[in-house]
Amino acid sequence: MSEVVLKMEGIVKEFPGVRALDNVNFEARSGELLALMGENGAGKSTLMKVLSGVWPYPTYEGDIFIRGEKKRFYSTREAEEAGVAIIYQELNLIPELTVAENIFLDRQPTNSLGAIDWRKLNSDTQNLLDELGIRDFKPTDQVKTITVGKQQMVEIAKALSKRASILVLDEPTSALTEKEVFDLFRIIRKLKQDGVCMCYISHKMEEIKQIADRVVVLRDGQTIGDVTPIADITLDQIISRMVGRDIKDMFPKSERKRGEKILEVKNIEVDNPVMPGEKKVKKASFSAYRGEILGISGLMGAGRTELVSAIFGAYPGATHGEVFVDGKKVDIRSPTDAIDHGIALLTEDRKALGLFLGQPVTFNTTISSLQTISTGLLGVINAARERALVEKYVTQLGIKTPNIDTIIGTLSGGNQQKVILGKWLNASPKIFFLDEPTRGIDIGAKVEIYKLLNRLADEGVAIIIISSELPEVLGMSDRILVMSEGAIVSEFTRDKATKEAIMEYATGARHTGG
Amino acid sequence: MQQTKQQNQLLEFVKTNATLIALVVLALALSFADPTFHTARNLSNLARQVTIVGIIAVGMTMVILIAGIDLSVGSVVGVAAVVVTLLMQYGLAVWIAVPVALVVVGGVIGLWNGFWIAHYRIPPFIITLGMLTIGRGVALTLSGGSSVPVADPSFAKIGGAYIPPMPTLVILAIAVAFNVYSLFKGFSDSKKLGGRGDVEKLATGVILAVIGLALAVYIFGSGDGLPIPVAIFVIIAGAAIFVLGHTKFGRRLYALGGNEEAARLSGINIFQTKMIVYLTASVLAALSGIILASRLNGASPNLGTMFELDAIAAVVIGGTSLSGGSGTIGGTIIGALIIGVLNNGMSLLGVSSFYQLIIKGLIITLAVWFDVLQKKK
Repeated sequence: MSEVVLKMEGIVKEFPGVRALDNVNFEARSGELLALMGENGAGKSTLMKVLSGVWPYPTYEGDIFIRGEKKRFYSTREAEEAGVAIIYQELNLIPELTVAENIFLDRQPTNSLGAIDWRKLNSDTQNLLDELGIRDFKPTDQVKTITVGKQQMVEIAKALSKRASILVLDEPTSALTEKEVFDLFRIIRKLKQDGVCMCYISHKMEEIKQIADRVVVLRDGQTIGDVTPIADITLDQIISRMVGRDIKDMFPKSERKRGEKILEVKNIEVDNPVMPGEKKVKKASFSAYRGEILGISGLMGAGRTELVSAIFGAYPGATHGEVFVDGKKVDIRSPTDAIDHGIALLTEDRKALGLFLGQPVTFNTTISSLQTISTGLLGVINAARERALVEKYVTQLGIKTPNIDTIIGTLSGGNQQKVILGKWLNASPKIFFLDEPTRGIDIGAKVEIYKLLNRLADEGVAIIIISSELPEVLGMSDRILVMSEGAIVSEFTRDKATKEAIMEYATGARHTGG
Repeated sequence: MQQTKQQNQLLEFVKTNATLIALVVLALALSFADPTFHTARNLSNLARQVTIVGIIAVGMTMVILIAGIDLSVGSVVGVAAVVVTLLMQYGLAVWIAVPVALVVVGGVIGLWNGFWIAHYRIPPFIITLGMLTIGRGVALTLSGGSSVPVADPSFAKIGGAYIPPMPTLVILAIAVAFNVYSLFKGFSDSKKLGGRGDVEKLATGVILAVIGLALAVYIFGSGDGLPIPVAIFVIIAGAAIFVLGHTKFGRRLYALGGNEEAARLSGINIFQTKMIVYLTASVLAALSGIILASRLNGASPNLGTMFELDAIAAVVIGGTSLSGGSGTIGGTIIGALIIGVLNNGMSLLGVSSFYQLIIKGLIITLAVWFDVLQKKK
């Protein structure tokens, strides 16, 4: 059995009003990947921030041992020096600089005059990439020109260049394509052989089964059960440790009869803003019906987000094609127009496109439908009506928040997402697009969101879900469209759809009619 | 235990009202240093001086709230002053010249700024910097580079007349009664909805209202009464507080400044909102220019030079974030008062105007530093 390199004992971390970590105990060994699982808000990220010195000693209680030696990190730098590196969900690279410059940022090799030794910088980087078996990009590539998946590898190379022996990966695959995940796992396996200890935070059960050696579950800031070898535990057992209950039916299917056609789009095309003449979406046509959940599947970059955003009026001037709502042709030139026609879009990137992080829950809930709480020419807001309305959504959607005046940035991802759902529900949409509605959200909240979407469909709303998680698309949709390289390449009804068939079309292995 | 809790509450109160406390401390210190400071006459003058930049700062608050900036307001003051006086020279009556100058100068410049910024998405810094130069050039061209005198005595009333003490007292009483009423209404509304009702907030509000009333009665209740420009400023500030805090439009400003992309995808009309904000800022600056010309009974093309910096300083000292999305008109008023009290006090104490600049600059730096410290916690 390999050496225990990391041990965290009795870790307690308090924020005003919340005990984020409440007696966490676990250990990790060299050459293993320890999966750190738990719902959003369970304390995983906080724990890793304690480990990496973001929350320095003594802002927490408890002890950290590295190779048996008690460590107290007063800064991230000290943690780095002790060999701890963390790769966040949101990558910390500078897009304008090259791969090599990013990896050796502020540690660039210099010549005798103190100027950067470019040749050595690039060759050192190349050696590092060779060691990891990365051949997809060069040290001199600008980071903004390579995909997110490759950027992640740059981050890993950067961590290893600092001789990290404990590597924390916070949901590394959330933005990767299957191919990129495959490459990442190859590197992870290589690192295991090299004796690197990895802590891996993820919500994706199938990944954990594939790549993890042992697993530890956090719930409400506490470790639930011991560190368990992955072979000795089932996915169901992990889930029940995470949520404290069994989830029998992830996808509460309900039988529905679809109503009349409410949305029809014909030959939608979206210009590529960077490459004139190129199209992000190519001649996409489809219809959506009242009371139906339509899934849109496909790989990252297949043009799904662009398609729905274009219908929503987010790219005025760059969108071509026709949109019909209730059989009438409509001219949507802005999201304002779309909302007026009863269309809502829950965006993929919650923080950048959905939330006003510095504002309270109330503000975030009512911002898209201020007319429901205001009167008169001046649009005077009725505060009492607003509060009652927001309280209603908080109860209805089970939003966990200290109160409705809480700043939304302090809530967990799942609760933020529920607030955004509330915001769109308040706009009473007839057609509701949801782009990756459950990304980065814990299982409990996911199921609640699924139930809500089913209920909305039962009430006659046309629901259109984009999702990269196949089980989700398969479990939720009545009908599934598959996109590949900007075009809709296939359509399945629920009974005909299988994982394999969808992947074949999504990856371009099969073509329409072929 | 009880004591530490009270200490915490006190600390919290000091933190949230730091600029207000700074203003009070500054005023008290000046009163001790020079007894003429706290005479009703001096304070009334001070209030009138503050209104010129104060009115501009109200518009600037909205601009900065949406993460913009308007450097052209000082030039707008100059153009508006020159235009209104020239119009009267051409024989237009005051009551026509003033609205025409407001609409033409404030309207045209505001729409110009707004259009470039909202439609072409050019950084406001550049567009309004350009307008700063253009505006000053227009003021110099129109006036031929010399000052424009005013013959009509009724024009001087805008900036120089007073509402007599008796009506002033009535107005003040009504204002305070309304303020206290809305405080109590807010309190009972929040209780009705199952909230606890923040007794301390209510108490602080009422106490501040009473102190404000007492101060206003002391300054304006005797002597000449309430200066017209002060009344105009109070109305504008009150309207802006209402709009920002209680209307759809106000919400849109905070949304736009907090996250423009999210605001757009939430269905907010970005173009329209930006146009209105830059228009408002220009019209208010034009109004300020007209009041200034009235006070001086004539216009010089250099009027308003550097006013944009005083306005921005007032907004920033008042706690509005330059990156947009947070801030209040109340804070800006306090910021403007701090600058006004400093100017007035230092002049009374005979501090050289050279030193005054240095001290003002340091105060601005300290205010922003304090704000940054606050946000870190």
